[in-house]
Amino acid sequence: MTDTTAGAGAGLRRAMGLRTVVSTSTGLAFAALEYLAAAGLVAYVAGDAAWVAVGTAGLLALLAWGFFGELNGMFPTAAAIRLYMKRSMDDRVALVVTFTYMTTIVLVIAADAFIVGSAIAHVFGQATWTAGLWILGLLAVAVAANLRGVRVAGAVQDVATYTVLVTTAVVSAVALARSHRALRFPLQPLHGHHPADFLEAVALGVFLYSAFEWVTTNAEEVRRPHHVHRGMLIAIGLLFVACGLVTVSMAHVLDHHQLGSAFPQLYLGRAALGSAGLWLMAGLTAVTALNTFNGGFITASRFVYATAREGGLPRQLARLNDRAVPWVPVVGLGAASLAVALVVAASHSWQVLVATGAALEAMIYAVAALCVQRLRRRLPDHHRPFRLWAARLLGALGAGVFGLLAVVASVSVSNRFDPVPLVVIGVCGALSAFYVLRVLPKVRAAEEARRASAGRRRPRRPTPPTPAEAGTP
Amino acid sequence: MADAAEVAEAYAHWREMCNANERLRRMLRGWDRIVHLEATDTGDGFTVSVRDQTLGPLAVGTDGAPDLVVRATSEDFADMFWGDLNPSEKYMSGEIVLAGSQEDVMRLDAMSMVAFLDQ
Repeated sequence: MTDTTAGAGAGLRRAMGLRTVVSTSTGLAFAALEYLAAAGLVAYVAGDAAWVAVGTAGLLALLAWGFFGELNGMFPTAAAIRLYMKRSMDDRVALVVTFTYMTTIVLVIAADAFIVGSAIAHVFGQATWTAGLWILGLLAVAVAANLRGVRVAGAVQDVATYTVLVTTAVVSAVALARSHRALRFPLQPLHGHHPADFLEAVALGVFLYSAFEWVTTNAEEVRRPHHVHRGMLIAIGLLFVACGLVTVSMAHVLDHHQLGSAFPQLYLGRAALGSAGLWLMAGLTAVTALNTFNGGFITASRFVYATAREGGLPRQLARLNDRAVPWVPVVGLGAASLAVALVVAASHSWQVLVATGAALEAMIYAVAALCVQRLRRRLPDHHRPFRLWAARLLGALGAGVFGLLAVVASVSVSNRFDPVPLVVIGVCGALSAFYVLRVLPKVRAAEEARRASAGRRRPRRPTPPTPAEAGTP
Repeated sequence: MADAAEVAEAYAHWREMCNANERLRRMLRGWDRIVHLEATDTGDGFTVSVRDQTLGPLAVGTDGAPDLVVRATSEDFADMFWGDLNPSEKYMSGEIVLAGSQEDVMRLDAMSMVAFLDQ
């Protein structure tokens, strides 16, 4: 790949450096849900060979990195997803896909609230139902902080993310070392499993890296534009190390019941460091949620705001409070996440959430692959500071592989056929399509009418006289 | 193409509206920023500063290290300051290009929305 970037935000007073780009990319991917996805992945492959599936998924994440690197280079803006999709396909299709994809953020926030709530209830020895109260409390705090315009500073985010990664890796390594047992099948992922199981493990593995690309929405504030794709690449490497270690360790030291629980990371901590490890991992889970709540609420609410301002959503969604926070999307996101988290808590269906998230992420990676391919045809001369090698071939490959993984992940939960994720995605997609095809034209018509009635404010300048009118030869 | 005088006239109108809007002034609490405006067609540069909840006068030329840089055509700047153009729409279509933090971008857009739509 070639990199011919030139500084765009270099002169800014406050710009984001590579370290913060890496921590943002890694932190967005490493949500509390990561621990559950890692434990779920172990069901599909021969226990301590789980790292092979994580590594294979990492290679696919590199493919996705190439797609997002090129797209981000072409459109280095927070609005990139709208820009490259609008230019690659029909705008209505682009909106349906984008709205459906945005449900991933609701799922991840809900999952993190559920996981942290369950973990807190567990470490305090409280009844399972109290997790619901913790979820309510956590989301209420997250909504209130967002409404007050509070956001985690870059430096705090750096410390939080690197602490989570290092501590997770150390706890995993200590748990492995203290098990006093050698790894059994570290190089045989298919031992006792069908090849199709490995495919499902890879689909879940891709989810371990998912959201690393959300850092592209920070493209306007980086010190050097190439920091974005370089940071994403480093983040994929860090995620591979942390996730590889945690999956192998979980497979090695946890039993079936612990792997299937809502807080396998707590058992891992206990296996490594006793009750201190349990509390340590509980604290760490809460820190991961800090990143998720911060990044998720800001990304989703600002996207909804911008889409409403653009005329793609009702104007009410662009209403701001006195701290310039779009309060309707923030409250709506909190309410939707609360509803999903409580349903998951009541139905113990967190693996459905994992599978749905994995399918949605694979879907958006397939779409990104298609966009790269189409834009090479439609905008061949567009400036591409970062060019993916063999983009047409890799684009076709990426669309096929990620499309397949999306299908696989959407019909399988915990190594069993289960179409619930597919139904969830189908319902979200159908609601998005209904909105875009039936409601949006009315919203746009109303906006047009409002603008027409407002009239033009800018005074018209007198047209300069032509030479004939001025009487000059 | 709008010349520098037209952009300055439009900005003066916008500034008056913003500074007269009590709600907007509350929104600008603690938001002291330097914004550079760069007209992509004429090559003109301007500096705007926000200090103590008040929008300062337009300075010709880009001065000091900015928190936010806005690149657009001179026509778009003039239309935007007169309230005839929705900057979000132009931003989402890639015609207005920004450099700066998302929060600052959001605040700047909020200024234009609240000043003209009072939402």
